[in-house]
Parts: sequence; structure tokens; C-alpha cells
Amino acid sequence: MRHFTKWSLAAAATVAMMGTSQIAYAAADCKELILGSAISFTGKYSTNGIHAKRGYDIAVKKINETGGVKIGANCYKFSIKYYDDESTPARTAQLLERLIKQDSVKYFLGPYSSATTKAAAPVIEKYKIPMVEAEGASRSLFNKGYRYLFAVLSTSEQYLASSIALAAEIAKKNGKKPGDVKVAMAFEQDPFSLDVRAGVVDDIKKYGLKIVIDDKLPRDLSDMSATLTKVKALKPDLLLISGHSKGAVTAARQIKELNIKTPMIAITHCESGKIVSKFGASTNGFLCPTQWAETLSYKGEAFGSAADYDKLFKATYDGYKTVPYQAAQASAAVLVWKDAFERAGSLDTEKVRDAIAATNMKTFYGGIKFAPAGNNIAKPMVLRQIQNGEYKVVAPAKWASSKIEHPRMVK
Amino acid sequence: MTTATDVKAAETGTHKRRLMSNNDSMIFAGLVLFGILGPILFPNYTFQIAVLWLMVLFALTWDIMGGQMGYNSLGNIFFFGAGMYICAIVQVGLFTDVGAYTSVSGQGNFKFTPDQYYIGVAVGLVAAAIGSSLLAVALGWIVFGLRGPYFAIGTLGMALAAGELIGAWGWVGGGSGIPMPVYPGSGDGKSYFFYVLCFAAAIATFLFLKWLYSTQFGLAINAIRDDEGKAEAMGVHTLRHKTVAWAVSAFFLGIAGGLFGNMTGFIEPLEVAFPTITFGIFMVAMALLGGKGTIWGPVLGAILFHIVKEVTWTYFLGWQWVALGVIIIINIIYFQQGIVGWLQEKYPGWFGIEVDERARAEAPAKGAAQ
Repeated sequence: MRHFTKWSLAAAATVAMMGTSQIAYAAADCKELILGSAISFTGKYSTNGIHAKRGYDIAVKKINETGGVKIGANCYKFSIKYYDDESTPARTAQLLERLIKQDSVKYFLGPYSSATTKAAAPVIEKYKIPMVEAEGASRSLFNKGYRYLFAVLSTSEQYLASSIALAAEIAKKNGKKPGDVKVAMAFEQDPFSLDVRAGVVDDIKKYGLKIVIDDKLPRDLSDMSATLTKVKALKPDLLLISGHSKGAVTAARQIKELNIKTPMIAITHCESGKIVSKFGASTNGFLCPTQWAETLSYKGEAFGSAADYDKLFKATYDGYKTVPYQAAQASAAVLVWKDAFERAGSLDTEKVRDAIAATNMKTFYGGIKFAPAGNNIAKPMVLRQIQNGEYKVVAPAKWASSKIEHPRMVK
Repeated sequence: MTTATDVKAAETGTHKRRLMSNNDSMIFAGLVLFGILGPILFPNYTFQIAVLWLMVLFALTWDIMGGQMGYNSLGNIFFFGAGMYICAIVQVGLFTDVGAYTSVSGQGNFKFTPDQYYIGVAVGLVAAAIGSSLLAVALGWIVFGLRGPYFAIGTLGMALAAGELIGAWGWVGGGSGIPMPVYPGSGDGKSYFFYVLCFAAAIATFLFLKWLYSTQFGLAINAIRDDEGKAEAMGVHTLRHKTVAWAVSAFFLGIAGGLFGNMTGFIEPLEVAFPTITFGIFMVAMALLGGKGTIWGPVLGAILFHIVKEVTWTYFLGWQWVALGVIIIINIIYFQQGIVGWLQEKYPGWFGIEVDERARAEAPAKGAAQ
């Protein structure tokens, strides 16, 4: 017991020292400019919390290595102060209070997930401190009239909606009526997935498809066999699942175990859940919406093209076969900060806020231009399909690099 | 367990005790002074001190059942969440349609005027307190048939089920939750406003319980703890006492929920309103750490627990849960009676307990057993 405590204290001290030395390095020649973020290192969003943190870190490193941020005549280097929100919104609000009041942080990067971002937004509004977030996509974030919240990603109702259009199109081609297309769906009970669901339901109504299963994933996202058993019985034509990375992993695992043969399956967060390397060929044919893909022809300052970013990210961090878009958009949020600071030419939060609102830039992640409500309207969602273990863009037509395989190959 | 029981039984028998001893008054005055000066001296810590008061309230209300009455509830967090939702629904529902306000795709940006805000909070908190108490009465009727571990599991199930049910209820936003009305004043103004309310709620809870434990009601629930069958045989209406005790706990927890929901600014069922594995377990851990079955134990436990939690969170990021685990393990293995329970046994004089040495000498075996 005592031995363990001693060991854990030593380890904690080492971690703390590493943190300090990083900051000391950043402040070597330019002044330090601190961004704050409470993000999920533990809990059910930790997989993506860590992807996002790596996205933030790689962008900070890149910017600092290439001359830092020029504000007026001064040079600054970014550093980020992190706290762990444990994937709970209750903690997010407390940690933001702490970052603002005790650590005097005046510029924020977002947490991971819509739920935690929803808890963050009232706090930053309250203190009139801007936040550029990259991981909260629910539309409910952008209908509250928030002035200080900006998001670089597309909103969540767009995630799976394009798969409905695809299913309707395929049905038409096969001479089936839309009303004969049976849809099964299961969603996590959180602001993000419920907004994905709302978008899907709108499109199902529009195309006149038929919902046969409409389930909720359990709170810890560790089992969806009840839904899949129903899927086996009812044989839907389309299966939709959204539950962040953990939900994607659970779904892919149990679809394999229960040998589900649905011809069309669409799941959010395939890349960040690393389902291809975990479950191999059984994931072939899954449709996965993505905010960003390394094959898209986006280009911008700092990172160059989408493919360049992909290469740099894989060289920096081990274990990525596909770079999750969560990391890419996190990096894009840091680029927005740099751009806004330089255009504002000031550290004043109001001036910087106005500069962020006026952002209109091209990046490796796509165009970034904010609507008055704060969401990014300059970039589409794309839908990829896993084909032979590779992610191929299949919709929308403008970006598609491959044709959709339908029905998906079931081994 | 036995220790606390024996000391309490002894107090009511061979030991005498005043309502508030000099020591008690001094510590209490110190606490109030800290409550008033805290946010003035450390304005940047206002939010954390406000949460500290809520923690004190959690531990105190858990102890009514767990410490004084011997019913270990793992589901008290239910009343926290219920209060939070009742308060939110009242705050929104008084002035606009709740369903439209919470809908995922709808226009949720209804603006509350300052008057509407303050009226909403006031009415909401009262409704939360009363509503939670009524729920306690209704649920008590069902779960008080359970005893011991069955009661603990039953109440835990109740809290978990509540989170799932609310998550499936579209009218209150389901899993998307409810964004709370925005405070009409400045950022710091909001912090102080809710600080004062949290502080007042904790102090009111403390004083009310201090009084309650000095009445016959206090003795009756102690009797239920010591031997429920015997208490009933002696004419204590146990179900009624248990129900009232739970309703008291729910009353204050409902207020705490309403306050916390407004402080957080966004509520949702699983992580904010019914967080069984964080606040739900913390309230038990805090009461055990300080010493259950005492009035000061939960207060001390809550303060220590909160400080350790915040410090580890700041300086040993990633190790906070390890630290909490270590505390709970040490607590359970070496300090079962908690800090105050241990002190009370070692220095009974500090607690205004006059130990009758003759009585103690006559029962040495009992002392040794402890």
C-alpha cells in the first residue's frame, strides 16, 4: 500500500515536471500566450478527448516552430492549459470557472462532445470570453444566441442524413418503393446523437422510408445486443448507429459477433473508434460520416494540404492507420485562434472575438467561415465507406472518389 | 458501526449532552465566518467554495438516513436530480412552453427578463424542495419494505432508473438536457448570487438537523437504527419516522439540485442530474470519512474530501481517482467510525459528552471490544 502511494506520488511529480518544462520551452524567445481547455482524458469520451488533445498539441507545436503568433510588433507562442472533465458536463462548468478565475485564461479551445460544450457555453458567455470549439456539433449549441462560441465543424444533423438519401436512391434503382425501405436505428442519449437522430428522422420523413426499430443505446455504451437481436428478426434494409467512439466499437464488435447481415450500415465515429484495425473484414461496407478526409483537396497555411497533415500526424503519433477527423478539426481550431489574433492585432478579448467572427480562411481542414450563430458554414460533411479496409469517399457526388458498394459484402 | 451506535446510546442514557456546547458554537461561528469571508478573501474561488457548501449539504442529508437511522441509501442523488429538473421546468415553464424550449432543432433562444429570472429561481427552488419531499414520501412507501443491503441496492436502482426515464422523456429534452436560463447580471454577480444561496442552504440544513436530532424524533430514528424491531415493539411508528426522515433529506437535496443546475447552466439526466457514481457515491464517502451518526462528521468529511479532490485535480491530473480511492480504502479499513467518530471516542469531553467513569468501569468488556 505504502509502496504504491509512494510510486504514484513520484509518477505524479514527474508528470507535473514535464508540464512545467514544456511551458518553459515555449517561452524561450517569444512571450507565452495561454489557451485553456477542459477536455475528456477519462470517462466515456476519453478516446476522442485524447484525439482532440493531440490535434490541439500538434497545431500548437507547428505554429510555435514556424514563428509563433505575431500580434502587432510582438511575438507569442501558444501553450495550452488542460484539465480533465471526466466526460461529464457538471465538471466542465466547474473547470472553466477555475481556468477563468484562478488561472486567468482568457482564450479557450473547446471540450470534447456536444454535452460538455453545452455546459461550457454558458460559462464563457457569462464572462464574455471567446471559445473556438471543434468537437461540439449539436445544433442546440447554435440556437441560443451565444456570442462567444465558435465551432469549426459542421453541425450534427448532417452526419447520417446523406445515408438516407443514398438508401432511397438505391431503392429506386432496384425498383422498390421508398415505403418498403425499413430503417433500424439506435442512438446514444446525449445532445450530439439526438441531434444526429433529429436530422435522420427529418430525412426519413422527406423520402418516406419506414422506421422499424428506434432504440436507445445504454448510458455506458457497452452493449447493444438487444437492438441487434431485433435487427436479426426484422431484417431492416438500413441500420443507423450513433454513440461516439465507444458506441462505434460496441456496434462493430457485436455486428461481427452476432453476424448481422443488414445490407447497409451507417455508424458515426468509425475512424476514431479504430474499428477497421480492431474488427477487420467484418467492417467492410460500413458507411461512416466524416467531417474531414485526408483525400480531400483542402489546403491552407501552417499544415499545407490535407494529405500533408495526415502524414505529419501519423509521423508524430504512433498507432494511427487513419487520422480521425476529431484531431484534424482540433488543429483547425488552433489555426483559427492564430489567424484571429494576428488580424485583431491585440490581446483584447472583445477585439479578438470580433476577429474570430470575421474569420474567412482556407485550411487543410476545409473552409472556415462562421454564421452569426457561430457554426461553420464553409465546409460539407462527407460520407465514406470502408472498402477492403480503406476509407473511400462515396458521397456527396462532388467529393466522391469511389462508388458505393451495395449491398455490403458480408463474409 | 458499533462504536457510533454505542456512543449515541450512551449519550441518551448515562451521558448528558447540551444542544450546542461551547466548542460547537465556536466551531460553528468559525464556519459561518469562513462562509462570509471566503468569497471576499478568495474571490476567484467563489465557485469552488459554493460547491463545497453543497458537498456539506450532501453529506449532512445522507447522514440523516445512513448515520442516524441506519438506512444506507445509495440513491439519495435521486432527489438532487429531481429537484434540479423540477426547478428547471418551473423556471422555464412559468414563462414559455417547455417542449419548444428544449426541442433539439427548435428555437431555444427564449430570453428571460431579469424579473422572470429571479421569480423563476425563487418559485423553482421552493417547488424543487417540496416536490422532492413529496417524491420521497411516495417512494418511501415502496422502498422502506427493504432493509440492509437490499435497501441500498433498491435505492441505487431508483436513481439509475430515474436518469434513464428522464433521458427518454422528450418534453424535458431527453438526453439533450435543458440549457438553463441565463443569469441577467455580470459573471461575478452570478457567482456571488448562487454562492449566497448555497451557503444559506448548507447552514439551514445544519441548524435544522442539529435541532431535529435533539428532539424526540432524533431519538426515534436512532432507535430504528439500533434495533428496528424493538423500536416498533416499543410503539415507535417506524414507517412514518422513516418517511419523514427521508422527506427531510429530500427537501434539502431538492434545493441543492435546483441551485447546482443553475450554477452549471446546462442540465442533462445522466451526468449532471443523476450522477450516481460521482456525487451519489461522494455523499456516502464524505459522511463515512468524517464519521457517520455525528453532526460534525459529515461537515468535516465534506470539507476534507472536497479539498483533497480539488487539489489532486489541479496538481495530479490523471491521479485524482487514485487519490480518492486511497482515501476511501484507508477510511474503510482503518477509520470505520470516521474522523469525528474516532475523536469522539478518544476525547469525549470535546463533544460535551460527560463520560460516567463508573458506568465505563462496569462494562470493560464492551470497551475492549471496540
